[in-house]
Amino acid sequence: MAANISIVKQKKRYTWKEIKRQKVLLFWAAVFIIYGFIFCYLPLFGWLMAFEDYKPMNGFFHSKFVGLDKFKELFMDDGFIQVIRNTLAMGVINLITTFVMAIVFAILLNEVKSKSGKKAVQTISYLPHFLSWIIVAGILHDALSGTGIVNEVLVHFHMLKEPLNFFAYPKYFWWIVAFANVWKETGWNAIIYLAAITSIDTTLYEAAAIDGAGRWGRIRHITLPGIRPTIMILLLMNVGNVLNAGFEVQYLLGNGLVQSVSQTIDIYVLKWGISQSDYSLGTAAGIFKSVVSIILIVIANQIAKRAGEEHLF
Amino acid sequence: MKWKRAVALALVTALTMTSMLGCSNAKKETSKTQKVSATESAKTQSKGNGGKVKQFTSFFAVPGSEINDDNEVQQKIAELTGAKVKETWLTGQTAQEAVGTLIAGGEYPDFIDGGDGMTQLYQAGALVQLDKYLDKYPNIKNFFSKEKWDKLRQADGHIYWIPQFNNSYGKSVETVHNDEAFWIQTRVLKWAGYPKITTLDQYFDLIEKYNAANPKMADGTKNIPYTILCDDWRYFCLENAPLFLDGYANDGSCIVDPTTKKAIDYNTTPTAKLYFQKLNTEFQKGVVDPESFTQKYDEYISKLSTGRVLGMVDQYWDFSSKVNDALKTQKLNEQGCNYVPLPITMKEGVQNHWHTSGDTLNVASGLAVTKSCKDIDGALKFVNDLLGKNVETLRNWGIKDADYTVDSKGLFSRTEDMRVKAADTNYKASHLCSYSYFPNWGGMSQDGINASKPDLQPDEFYASLPSDVQECFKAYNCKTYVDMIGTNEIPGSWYPIYSFVSTMTTATPGGKAWTKMGELKHEYLPKVVMASNFDSAWNDYMKVYDGCDPKSFLSEVQKEVDKRIATAQKSEASTATSTEKSTEAK
Repeated sequence: MAANISIVKQKKRYTWKEIKRQKVLLFWAAVFIIYGFIFCYLPLFGWLMAFEDYKPMNGFFHSKFVGLDKFKELFMDDGFIQVIRNTLAMGVINLITTFVMAIVFAILLNEVKSKSGKKAVQTISYLPHFLSWIIVAGILHDALSGTGIVNEVLVHFHMLKEPLNFFAYPKYFWWIVAFANVWKETGWNAIIYLAAITSIDTTLYEAAAIDGAGRWGRIRHITLPGIRPTIMILLLMNVGNVLNAGFEVQYLLGNGLVQSVSQTIDIYVLKWGISQSDYSLGTAAGIFKSVVSIILIVIANQIAKRAGEEHLF
Repeated sequence: MKWKRAVALALVTALTMTSMLGCSNAKKETSKTQKVSATESAKTQSKGNGGKVKQFTSFFAVPGSEINDDNEVQQKIAELTGAKVKETWLTGQTAQEAVGTLIAGGEYPDFIDGGDGMTQLYQAGALVQLDKYLDKYPNIKNFFSKEKWDKLRQADGHIYWIPQFNNSYGKSVETVHNDEAFWIQTRVLKWAGYPKITTLDQYFDLIEKYNAANPKMADGTKNIPYTILCDDWRYFCLENAPLFLDGYANDGSCIVDPTTKKAIDYNTTPTAKLYFQKLNTEFQKGVVDPESFTQKYDEYISKLSTGRVLGMVDQYWDFSSKVNDALKTQKLNEQGCNYVPLPITMKEGVQNHWHTSGDTLNVASGLAVTKSCKDIDGALKFVNDLLGKNVETLRNWGIKDADYTVDSKGLFSRTEDMRVKAADTNYKASHLCSYSYFPNWGGMSQDGINASKPDLQPDEFYASLPSDVQECFKAYNCKTYVDMIGTNEIPGSWYPIYSFVSTMTTATPGGKAWTKMGELKHEYLPKVVMASNFDSAWNDYMKVYDGCDPKSFLSEVQKEVDKRIATAQKSEASTATSTEKSTEAK
């Protein structure tokens, strides 16, 4: 309550003088609001397409209005249900693996005593972030092929009798994608945690050490609680991204044999929306994705709020 | 501090403002100069001397290789025609994806060939009607007969695109089987003493025996007896062989029986089952490459380029240009790694139709001018010029004395050195420019002496063949690839029906069924081939296949077959009566 009252009071204090004082800030805020409006809100007019039988020749204003028919068509399609399942599954697996790995990696790296070693590892580990997916997919495809390094090693150590064609079995696909994501993003995602860790007061560690806390104890009782707000905020933001499970990896690594588990909503949009020029159907699928993402993020935020954790809004 | 901030702000604003202004100014200027240059070059053109060269853009929804900006032949063509076209090609997408993205964006290059996405472009209103321009450009108009132009009219009665290929000037000349076949390396045939191979069983039997006797290449690399390309739209290498194995011509997406004129689904014929069963057996034996169904096109091409693969089904155009050159530079013809086609059918005694002769008009796609093109007349004039005699030779043969020599009778030929250069990728990019997806004559050249292209010139064609292929042809008493598998007349006026199927979209139930069928086959056909129990896998496949409603697909195709036959009969009847009338008048 106290916080609320203070906000109300602050609002009242906004005067011309105050605005003048902040004109630079306001100017930049305006620039970004315009940017956001043009690139994030203006395209939303395109959502009209989902409620029309959109034909590019007729444009927005002369295409036939069909209401929710396209959504009906979408949910009658078994293929769409399948891609929702795949997207959710891969989204959740990716979220958990990349999230946990980044935190673990940041903490481990923080415990490294040698400064130059730490810097070297950090630099090398975030480099894959800058590779485009097509390169990563190429490397993976080579590494996991019948004559690739993974099979060579496994056969050499007699863990496999003959090379295994990893991409021929649907059961491996989600894990290959998760692995690719972890490899590519762990180092990059860890940066923000490392930054959060450095902001923890070092006297806390000293005090804990005097009180007899070991390394493990210090991680558990100081580092982790110290970066908890960062973890919560990032978790919430990532929950909203669960349905953005990816497009490039699945598109590049997929093939006929694994298509029942490899296709995501984005691939579905490309396949049925753009390739078949049924733009309305593609837009409907896109809207569905956005709506689900908003719901997810609101629910997660509420849970965090109830639990008294850091939250977004 | 405060003034610093103010200065910084002022600077940033100034910068953004000037850059914006700069942009708009530059735009205005370029559009002005474009206009000026257009009129200027139009003026200078009439004097026959190139002034400023017009620049056009183009996109072709097929994979291709871009040429350098300072390409020499392109420069020469620009001097002759006053225009230059930047060609861009499909990369890593399907044609329909690329076209769909262009339509969604609403901006197009000047020229386009949308491949499988051509109908989408037409339906989106992206193309310029060409029929009203035709009379102005004689070379374009004469490219097709009136009957063929009429076949190209869309539902609204207008012509929007010009198919580029399979159009012979003078007499038709054929040397290459630029189509689908079971291909085999010459070394396999040579090892067995060039036997007569006509059935699927004989084909695999030979490959197996050869591989048992020679499992490795000269450098110790293991052979891959048989591989199947199954990457995205290229999975025809796996799926449509049953059509040919039953002795039908390439209608592509289904069989059209030439006697009953009925559309038949080749996916469910007894031959289809036998063919996939054979692949299954060979897969279990380890003859079929275990990576077949997961390899990407690039991986497939690099496999073929090493000379390890003994045989496969493919379209010649899908592998030849890349693989033949690679084998040549590695001198693998000495080991007999080049591919020749075999006339394979399921059973003995079935007449194969792998090759059809004559000019097949593919009405489904071609070169079109888009609504985004600002200078439609300039663009069409360029196409018209490209079909002219001088430019034709430049496009197809190159530059005199650098790429070919002329003897006293005017007959073109190339030296061995020139042949090697013409196969070199760098040389192709920096020197040769064939504008390959612009309309081009096949058959004879307009000089009446030479063939239109080097590989159609009989002596030149034979001399440029790899030594192992020459030897193989001699053994079978053949002169060309076409001789290896024989040739057939086009089966009927509906042919090829794939030109209709590739225009189908999910807007109709048949189109939806067709897309679903494709999706399903992508998954189940590899499963069927890899299954340890073929029969149960096949039954599973057939069960889900029925769920796609292939009947509605077939009935839509049937309608089109009937329509095409009726149209052809009508136009025949009208020409018959008109000739009657003219004879009467005489």
